[in-house]
Amino acid sequence: MPGVMVFLCRCCGRIPPTVDLLALGEKIGREEGVAVVETRDTLCLPEDRAAMLRSFEESGASGILVAACSPYGKAGDVVTTLSAACDGDRSHVRLVDIREGCAWIHRGDPAGATAKAGDLIRMNLGFLRHGKRSADAVVAVRPECIVVGAGSAGMAAALSIARAGHRVHLVERGMGGGGMLKLLSHVYPTDAGAEEKLKPSLEAISAQPLIVFHAKTRVVAATGYAGDFKIRLASGTGETNLHVGAVILATGAGVWLPRGLYRYGELKEVLTLMELERRRREGRESPRRTVFIHCVGARCPERPYCATICCPSSIKNAAWIKRADPGAEVTILHRDIMMPGAILERYYRGALEAGVRFVRFAADAPPVVSGDGKVENVSVFDAINGVEREIAADQVILSTPLVANADNAKLADLFHIGIDRYGFFREDDPLHPLETRQAGVFICGSARWPVASGDAAAQGEGAAMKALAILGRERLSARSLSRLPEGKLGHARIEDGFCSGCGNCVAVCPYEACALQKVGGALVSRANKMRCRACGSCMSVCPNGTIQMPEHNARAVGAMIRRAFSPREAR
Amino acid sequence: MNAPETTDKKPSPRVLVFACRWCALIGADAAGRKKTELPASFRVIPVECASMVEPDSVLRALASGADGVAVMGCHLGGCRFNDANHVAVKRMEALGDLLDTVGIGRRRLLLSFGTAHEGHEFAEVLGNFLRELGPLPELTRWRKTLLNLPAFR
Repeated sequence: MPGVMVFLCRCCGRIPPTVDLLALGEKIGREEGVAVVETRDTLCLPEDRAAMLRSFEESGASGILVAACSPYGKAGDVVTTLSAACDGDRSHVRLVDIREGCAWIHRGDPAGATAKAGDLIRMNLGFLRHGKRSADAVVAVRPECIVVGAGSAGMAAALSIARAGHRVHLVERGMGGGGMLKLLSHVYPTDAGAEEKLKPSLEAISAQPLIVFHAKTRVVAATGYAGDFKIRLASGTGETNLHVGAVILATGAGVWLPRGLYRYGELKEVLTLMELERRRREGRESPRRTVFIHCVGARCPERPYCATICCPSSIKNAAWIKRADPGAEVTILHRDIMMPGAILERYYRGALEAGVRFVRFAADAPPVVSGDGKVENVSVFDAINGVEREIAADQVILSTPLVANADNAKLADLFHIGIDRYGFFREDDPLHPLETRQAGVFICGSARWPVASGDAAAQGEGAAMKALAILGRERLSARSLSRLPEGKLGHARIEDGFCSGCGNCVAVCPYEACALQKVGGALVSRANKMRCRACGSCMSVCPNGTIQMPEHNARAVGAMIRRAFSPREAR
Repeated sequence: MNAPETTDKKPSPRVLVFACRWCALIGADAAGRKKTELPASFRVIPVECASMVEPDSVLRALASGADGVAVMGCHLGGCRFNDANHVAVKRMEALGDLLDTVGIGRRRLLLSFGTAHEGHEFAEVLGNFLRELGPLPELTRWRKTLLNLPAFR
């Protein structure tokens, strides 16, 4: 039986008093292309749903339209059931919301509500005529991975993937692995030596045959999509081409130098935390009187963020100085102490008990370092007690934030991912913090936001699991990359022979899925099915309607628009 | 609640709403669940993203009986599809200029980005729009011309 089968749901009497289903059914039954109209009580209940499926299958109708509640309610499940009955093909199934979108908001106007329900059903009948289905794209997955950056995050990611049995290319712009841990003496909150912490990972990496370490190497080119990236590496010795299934960016962050602040660079006893770490690693003892200044170059107009690692790092060193020499005078000048979580809070209490002194200053009254030729004094206005304090000091340690690597912008450009205004890689969605807007490209560690080494490693392992979800498959379908695969429209399709190569779609695509290619001497657009997320931006700028989302094409939408308002006199 | 005042002589203006299903459609749905009373003269077409709405569709809607068209998407910066709705805003603003030029007037095009994602906000935005459309004249003459163009037949 050709035509569409229409089911109207009474919703146990929550639709009918407003929408006259009897009149509506009669009116719809007369519409062109409608095979049969059935009214049921509760399509969300299994019995009614089964009966609906049975009568649809028996009828052999070409399409099915369900007029019930909103897709966010139970009707969403009904559509899923029906789509499953049509081999997942949603182009023959259409849901019309006549409860939330009609009966419930027009209770004062039953005639208007019934007319509206009729219009809504007619609109969707029109849509059903033109709805098409796009075939899912499937690609073969390259079972290899590239990890850029061999710091805590990168090493953890590489090791996790190698242990799962996949080859990993670990690319490092410096000589060896370790990242920022190589610059540190000890790590908080365990106070373990950085070197001892690093050693097992470095040994595991050199012992792991599946990890190929590319030292002094940079990524210079990248093309492709999830499952199949082509990447070119350049090092002093030449270029290497890789062909990988997933990309993990773990490039870390950089240290900010407080040039010109607190007489840094002028007095040699004014150091940054990193310089103190180096001295501590070299076994040099600290002078007797030390003043730490927090939030140097952080939480200021240029960098309004808190870099999260500076408070714990300087408290770590302050407590170390105090414990090594109980007679030492250690003062921390801070704006706020940021020590979140039970472990760090205990760490902070430990420093207080060890005798580290904390003085709070206000952002608009920063401390002043004085001294002639060497550090002698730090004067600060104690914001809590309201007194001016003069603190004698032999050295001043500036606690500076981490800043994004200058390379990030270039890498973001290569992989088509976003960076935030401070240059850190941007996550695509707060609920998917290791994913970027390009499927198959993952971020972890301080490259996405400053984190301590342990957290960086945790993120690295997380990113590895995300990558393994791709690498572990032989074939990858475009639909499976979507976080809501059932709801995703297919992907943009370009009709051959009509594209004029204007490039509008290339300019507008938020995922750089469209690209112009030369085919038979003329430029035409090609949509990459693995990159396309089916937003439909391209179809609204195409001058001749060549590029379309098959599930939501212009003809179908046009049919809806034409039927949206039945002539007034008929109402 | 936010129903515009209508008289028997003049029926409520007809509005076609293109609602992004990640934001404004949820607002419309919430208005429904709260049973907010609204005039029965608007129809909603769910779209994946506001950037999917062709300027052409807006004209078509005006040609086929709508007194006004609303394009509703997520707030700028909160688009599910990266920066797609930024592009949509620019496009729709340009369409507003076009509507002014041809004498339809940009008042018949409502752009809402991030202002209709709660039920009461949807009702308010739509109610205000309907109120504003109320005194505007019918598009009869313009519609006749447009509907006779080959592209719209």
